[in-house]
Formats: sequence, C-alpha cells, structure tokens
Amino acid sequence: MADLFDIQLLHMTLRTVVPVLLAALGGALCERAGLFNVALEGMMLAGAFGAVVGSFFLGGAGWGVLAAIAAATAIGLILAVLSLNLRANEIVVGISLNLLVVGLTTFLMRVVLGATGTFHHPDLQGLPQWSPEWLQAVPVLGRLLSGHTPVVWAAYLAVPILTYFLFQTTIGLRLRAVGEHARAAQTLAVNPLRMQYLAVVLAGVLTGLAGAQLSLGQVRIFQENMTAGRGFIALVAVIFGRAHPTGVLLASLLFGLIDALGIRLQGVGLPSQVTGLLPFVVTLLTLVALRGRGLNRQGTA
Amino acid sequence: MPDRLTEGLIDLLRPLLAVLLGLAVGAVAIWATGHPVGEAYAALWNGAFGNRTFLGSTLARSSTIALAGLGVAVAFRAGALNLGGEGQLALGGLAAALFTIYVPLPGPLPLVAGLLAGAAGGALWALLPAWLEVRFRVQLLISSLLLNYVAVYSASYLVSVPFRDLSGGGALAQTRLIPEAARIALLPGTRMHAGILITLALSLVLWFVMMRTVTGYEWRMTGLNPDFARYGGVDRVRALVTAMLVSGAVAGLGGAIEVMAVYHRYIDGNLTRPGFAWSGLMAALLADNHPLGVLLAAFLLGVIQVGSTGMERTTQIPLEISSVVQAVIVLFVSVRIGADLLRRFRGRRAARG
Repeated sequence: MADLFDIQLLHMTLRTVVPVLLAALGGALCERAGLFNVALEGMMLAGAFGAVVGSFFLGGAGWGVLAAIAAATAIGLILAVLSLNLRANEIVVGISLNLLVVGLTTFLMRVVLGATGTFHHPDLQGLPQWSPEWLQAVPVLGRLLSGHTPVVWAAYLAVPILTYFLFQTTIGLRLRAVGEHARAAQTLAVNPLRMQYLAVVLAGVLTGLAGAQLSLGQVRIFQENMTAGRGFIALVAVIFGRAHPTGVLLASLLFGLIDALGIRLQGVGLPSQVTGLLPFVVTLLTLVALRGRGLNRQGTA
Repeated sequence: MPDRLTEGLIDLLRPLLAVLLGLAVGAVAIWATGHPVGEAYAALWNGAFGNRTFLGSTLARSSTIALAGLGVAVAFRAGALNLGGEGQLALGGLAAALFTIYVPLPGPLPLVAGLLAGAAGGALWALLPAWLEVRFRVQLLISSLLLNYVAVYSASYLVSVPFRDLSGGGALAQTRLIPEAARIALLPGTRMHAGILITLALSLVLWFVMMRTVTGYEWRMTGLNPDFARYGGVDRVRALVTAMLVSGAVAGLGGAIEVMAVYHRYIDGNLTRPGFAWSGLMAALLADNHPLGVLLAAFLLGVIQVGSTGMERTTQIPLEISSVVQAVIVLFVSVRIGADLLRRFRGRRAARG
C-alpha cells in the first residue's frame, strides 16, 4: 500500500485536479453572485472542443486556449441571457445547455474535424509542459512542480487571486452583495445584472481553461462527452468548499487525489468501472458528511 | 371564460413555437453542412414514418422516452428534482434481465416478474437519493445526478464480469438472452411491441393519480408550496418518498420494457447511450409535467431521434443534430416558464391595484 502514495501520485493529482478546480472556481463566482450554475459541465466540454479546434486550425496551443475561452463563455452567456434577462429557470437552462453541448460538439466533431467518437491528429499541438532546469534542481518540490502546463499554474494562482478579488476589492464586495441580497445591493446603486454577467464571463474564462487542460494538457485528443461528469463534481466542490476559493481548492484536491488513486489502482488490476465510480461515491459521501451544512441551496424542501 | 381560453391557447402555442424555432436552428445546421434543407427534413420524415418498421422503432423509442418522462413528471410535480432517471432506467433494465434469466418461473409469469423486477429496481435506486435528502439533507438534485454515474458504472461492471454471457466467445459485455416466456411480443399485424400499450395505460393511470387522488394532490401541493402543504397537514417526507418511489418505478419499467421487447438481454450502454432518460426529462419539461402531454412530447422527440437516424443514412448529416434540435426546443420552452411567473406576478399586482 505504501508504494501507492509517492511523488508521482501527488504529481498526477496536482495535474488531474485542474479541470475540476478551474470549473469549481467558476462555479463559486457564479454562486457568490447568486447564480446556481449547473452548466459548468457543458461550458467545460465546449472549452475542450474549442481548444482542439482552435489549436488544430490556427496552428498553436495559444489559439486553442483563446478558442476554448470563447466557446465556454458563449455557453455561459446563453445561460445568462435566458436565466437572468428572460427569467427562465436556471437549473432547466443549465441541464438543457449541457445536453446541447454534448450534441453540438459531437455534431461539429463529425462535420468540422471529420472524426467519430475520438479526434486525434499528429499535427494537433498540445499545451507546453514547463520544466525549467532551476526548478528541477530543487529536491522533491522540483519533481512535484515541473512538467506542468501553464494552465496548471494558472489554476493554482487563480485561488489566491480570486480570494483577493472576492474579499478585498470593491467589485468583489458588490458581486457578493448581489448574491446575498440583490435588492439591498440595488439600493446602493449596484447593478445586479452587471455583477452576474461579470461572474458568468469569469466562469467562462475559467471553464474554458479547464476544457483546454482536459483536451490539450492531459492528452491531445477530443473525445465525445470527454468531461464525463467533472462539471458535476465541480458543482459539489463549490458546495463542499462553501464557494470560497480556498475551500474549493481543498475539496477539488480531495476529489483529485481519489481520481489519481483510482487510475493508479487500475494499474494493479482493479476494473475500470470501479475506479470510474470511485470519485462519484466519494463526492456523495462528502455530501452525506456535510449533512446540509454546505451551501444553503434551493433543494426540494 | 374567454380569458382562460386564450391562456390555454397560449399554453399550447408556446411549445409549438418552440418546436418551430428548434427546427429552424436545425435547418441552419443542415444548411451549414451544405445539404439542401428541404431534402434533409424530408429524409427525417421518411426515416420516422417511411415504412412499418420505421414507424415501429419510432413508437418503441417514444414509448421508452415517455416512461422516463412520466417518472420525471411525477417527481417534478412533487418538487423532487429527480435527475437520476438514467441510473433508475438502467438498473430497472438490468434487474428485469437478471431476474428473468436466473429465476425460472412457469407459464406467463416471467413476463410479469420481469416488469415487476424492473419497476422495483428503478424504485429502490430512486429511494436512495430520497433517503439521503430526508436523513442527511443532501440535495436530491445533486445526489440523484451523481448516482447516475454510480449506477451506470456498476451495471457495466456486473455485465462485464459476473453476469457476462460467455457463450460465443463472450466478446461483448452483455447478459445471456432472457427466456422466450419473458419477451414482449410485437402486436399482431404491426412492427410495434406490446410494451407501448403499457406506456399508454400507465400515462392514464398517472394522470388519474396526480389529478384526482389525495396522494396526487399532496404531491402537487408539496411541489407548489411546501409550507402551505405542511400547514394543510401534508407529510412532506411521505410525499417525497412516495413520489420518488413511483418516479423510479416508472423509469425502471421503461428500462425493463426496452430489455424485454427490443434487445432481449441487457447490453452494456444500450440503455444509456441513446439518452432515454435525458430525452424523458426534456419531454416532461416540454409538457410542463402533464402526464398526457408527456406522451405527446415523447412522441415528438422519438420522431426527431429515429428520423435523424434515417436522415443520416440517406444524407450523411450526423444524427447528433437531433440532440441539438431537442435542446434548443427545451431552451425556448424554458423561457416560457419564466414568462408564466411574470404573468402570475402581473396578475397579482392587477388584483391588488
């Protein structure tokens, strides 16, 4: 059992947790602005597809990242227009958008990329892996921190930045005020809609990066429905982490460690289905352990 | 009451308008692939209704979507956001297959036993998120959604390893064939299976239960206004648990019929890949959770899905276009829900002023 936990496992965890972490940070911002964003899954999938299309046709991973952000933000804006401006139910819209993106990306993969199921191509440029010599020279930490994509670094940097943004800046305060009590914020001349749109656009950037890491960082392929529920795990990380960036980071790391452990256990003969359901069982168990003490969300009650 | 008439007409016109808008978006997608739009939609129509076999598959698919949708409608009416249809349907199908294969029964009993096993499988799986909500205050919306993955991976494991059919090399992850006595036959002189009759009957029963019985009233009260329901003496826990049990049972029955009438065995992925549960959810949303409306909406979605398979055969336009069209329809309908609230709000204001 001891050799299950080593530097490589932690290295893998740091990497595999990033899509969930980024999406959860986006979800936390929306949550803080009073928007329950069920569409994280779809936004991330749109990002993963946009990344591959951008990188493949424009010839560079940088373009891929930009296209990923654009695609994820576009889905977020549909959510915003329908649920904020047109007052549609945000859960219904979110679920529909997730289904829309699964269909749309599969459709476009066949039409634009000419592939069914999985798209891969030797010319498809992935995200660069950053391992400078000075970092590699550092004992232990060097091995842990080198070989990651810039998106991985961005994800961990986003945690303190967003904490500062939410709790130390005026805009952050206004954004939270809108989520806590939109009317009260309005009387103080804060435009709730503007704050909510800001949250959705930032979530678009974050989920776009999440998607890019998924399709151009972890691997270099696009696969039908490749987010495989990560957006929903991110949603639980938002609840578990009480929509606080640090809490979200800890929750994501827990789920990521289970995920990485599962992949490791698959290597020693555990069936792929068991390792596949492991993260979902753990997320459910954390919700049970919380006993509703996470976010007070509109459930069935 | 001319006002109520106009309101009713608006309620009918809105989904129709949404369907037209969905088809318009589909037309743009078809146009983008470079195919003539008229020809493509003609191929879709032909794929759904072209001959008796096509019509049979259209009705079969609509039937399973309708059962998934009826399950959602019951839960949603009671305010339980059950997104676990996928798992409930898959486990219902698996339960039906395993029970009929491993429990030999005489005469026509396997047929009944298979359906009951399917309903029980779905109901028990739906009970789990209800219990988590009541006992541990875990939001049902999230737990039912996450449990889909647990159910689908578990079912996949069960038919890949312990219950795998090893005859003929065992290349596929699937169970053995269910006995002849447990198979649902085609209706004489048609290409549609008799499970469709169960769906029709069940939608009538559910309409009656929801609209004309005390249990149904308690469900609707709990869904509309839980505080008012409690004030009126409704046991919220009981309403939630019964609604989830019925919801899961109906979805499980959908999986059982799919197994017993179409594949005659449980094949890994065959109940999840076509997205029955999610189509059912869309049907319930389209029909505003009305049991008879769900039938109509499910038929519409069945036509779009089976038709687009035909369209892919003749025009090479990817069949995933059907998912796009469906999702767009639901998005347009969802805006209506908001409009309703607005209407109610205005009405209240008018009454006050």
